[in-house]
Amino acid sequence: MKEFVYDVFTRKERGDRLQHVGYVDAFDDETAKVYAWTTYDEEKWFEMCVVKRTNVLPVNRTDGLFVEAQKAAHV
Amino acid sequence: MSQFTDEELKQKVQAGYMVEGPEDMTEGYRKALRVQLTVQADTELMSAPSYWMAARHAPSTNTQVSAHAIIQDELAHANIAYRLLEDIGESKEHLVYGRQPHEFKHPYGFDQPLDNWAELVVATGFFDRAGITLLTDVHENTSYAPLKRALVKISMEETFHLRHGEVWMRRLAKAGGEARELVQRAVDWMFPMTIEWFGLPDDMKRHSGQLDYKLKGLTNDQLRQVWMSSTVPLCEELGLNAPAHWDDEKGEYVLDYPFPCQYDAVDKHWAFDEGEISWDAVFERWKGRGPMNEIYVESVQRSRMDVERWLAA
Ligand SMILES: [Fe+2]
Ligand SMILES: [Fe+2]
Repeated sequence: MKEFVYDVFTRKERGDRLQHVGYVDAFDDETAKVYAWTTYDEEKWFEMCVVKRTNVLPVNRTDGLFVEAQKAAHV
Repeated sequence: MSQFTDEELKQKVQAGYMVEGPEDMTEGYRKALRVQLTVQADTELMSAPSYWMAARHAPSTNTQVSAHAIIQDELAHANIAYRLLEDIGESKEHLVYGRQPHEFKHPYGFDQPLDNWAELVVATGFFDRAGITLLTDVHENTSYAPLKRALVKISMEETFHLRHGEVWMRRLAKAGGEARELVQRAVDWMFPMTIEWFGLPDDMKRHSGQLDYKLKGLTNDQLRQVWMSSTVPLCEELGLNAPAHWDDEKGEYVLDYPFPCQYDAVDKHWAFDEGEISWDAVFERWKGRGPMNEIYVESVQRSRMDVERWLAA
């Protein structure tokens, strides 16, 4: 089953910073949303977003930690 | 390849350097981290079918829900640990679906059947306490930053599992009669099971590098003490017999039975009267795996291939 890594971002309260809290493996955007919502349920989040890891664009360097993680993002 | 030699990396992490990804690691570090994360992931994963099959003994719909909430957490914890393994070059697909039951690295305790509600709540009271003991140490000491961050969620949820277990242990123990007897019987086999889970005593421990690379902070014996320092007082408070006591002279908890000793998995009975056995004999028993090993692993893997075939058709 072909799946992709999605990074999960949440904001605990209105006005808080949107923070990276984890990741799920999912085969499309819709399932990624469901998996993230049911997996990262440790708080009552004000806001939650998911981003397909391959959609993150590095800005200032091509050897950054996130770029390395992207290479492993195709499950 | 790493920018550091093994010696440089060991010195750097001892001085507080945090490793962020494969490019910061040496091969030795990666291997030690892989072993640690595999044990962690497999333990989380195998606790799920073990608790899931026991959850049918839940006494109400509300307790069903809280038992399943614990199971859901464990599966999420497993997912996180396998994800971390992917990031250092391992395959989750292989680890979860491609291995034989005996190749998983979870402790022997999660190869045992949980046969009633008392056993499930003592399991969450004892086994999850062991999980917290191990993971709190990792959380506080690990030099691997992605793991440290992931442990925030995991610790929060493990605390809830533990509380659920302890609240129910208290409730059953206070009720007396059969309820209390069942809790005591669960304590009788699960206490030594958890003690053994922490592994070889320090004076026998082969050097694993986990301390040098700062993947953990405490030794096996220290972790065993931490676990006992909560569990023995809890049992005393509930009037349950736990085979250990505080020794004033030694300033530590001491076991009241020969350690390690042999276990009969069918009768759930520790052969205290047969005396101490060698750790080789313990490893032999662990390697043979317990009665539920194949059933638990099969329950996780069973539908993967079928659904894959349907989707490919
Ligand atoms: Fe867990
Ligand atoms: Fe747990």
